[in-house]
Amino acid sequence: MEIQEKKLNGTGIIRVEGRLDSKTSPEFEDKISEVIENGTRNIIIDFESLGYISSAGLRIILKTAKELKRMEGKLVLCALQDYVREVFEISGFDSFLLIVPTVDDAMEKL
Amino acid sequence: MSKNTISFRLSNDLSELDTLRDKVEAFGSLLGIPDKTIFEINLIVDELFSNIVSCGFRDNGIHWININISLRGGAITIRVEDDGVPFNPKSSQKPDLECPMEERRIGGLGIHLVTELSDKISYYREGDKNILILEKKIIEDSTRLEK
Repeated sequence: MEIQEKKLNGTGIIRVEGRLDSKTSPEFEDKISEVIENGTRNIIIDFESLGYISSAGLRIILKTAKELKRMEGKLVLCALQDYVREVFEISGFDSFLLIVPTVDDAMEKL
Repeated sequence: MSKNTISFRLSNDLSELDTLRDKVEAFGSLLGIPDKTIFEINLIVDELFSNIVSCGFRDNGIHWININISLRGGAITIRVEDDGVPFNPKSSQKPDLECPMEERRIGGLGIHLVTELSDKISYYREGDKNILILEKKIIEDSTRLEK
């Protein structure tokens, strides 16, 4: 798994490549914690290059969404591949998360 | 052993998830199983395996999880055997998928995914082992499955 992070107009954009499972998710969790600790309250996660996610990855998404909401921030996910999206749907996560096609769409939601 | 079946064992270490992926992908592409089904088989076994590794053992020793995957008559059968504490996924409580985000909990979500992606699940205990057998029909259509 590879994680890249950049900041655009105060928004943190985190791009994850590869697989998000119980082995790789701690690193993803640490990265998000670091971004939030640095004061970022609006985060976009770009999943365009994410080919796989398990419940371990979903756990971090849920935790992050709750944490940002408490801080009056926002989490937006974008560019989910079909199979990854299906995992969000089966889990019912698509009902409370903002999921949009592109990073530009995500910026508009913030 | 015919090419329609694959057996392997993984140690109780999450780094084995890479081995699992390699085995499932090699088996799937050899038999021409659709990518979506390969993804789902990988996810099913990943969730079961990760659960066993994280919650199944009371000691710090090495344990082996035996996995067999076979294809017959358009359906996949997955068998997972471990010597961890008794755990029947069928008695796991279904998570509440309707409640608001603040009340959503992550517990049980892995087993929920396994249940949703499988057509049939049987569990039994044999000596000190958990035996779990799952069946999954292969759906050739590459479009998204509506459940």
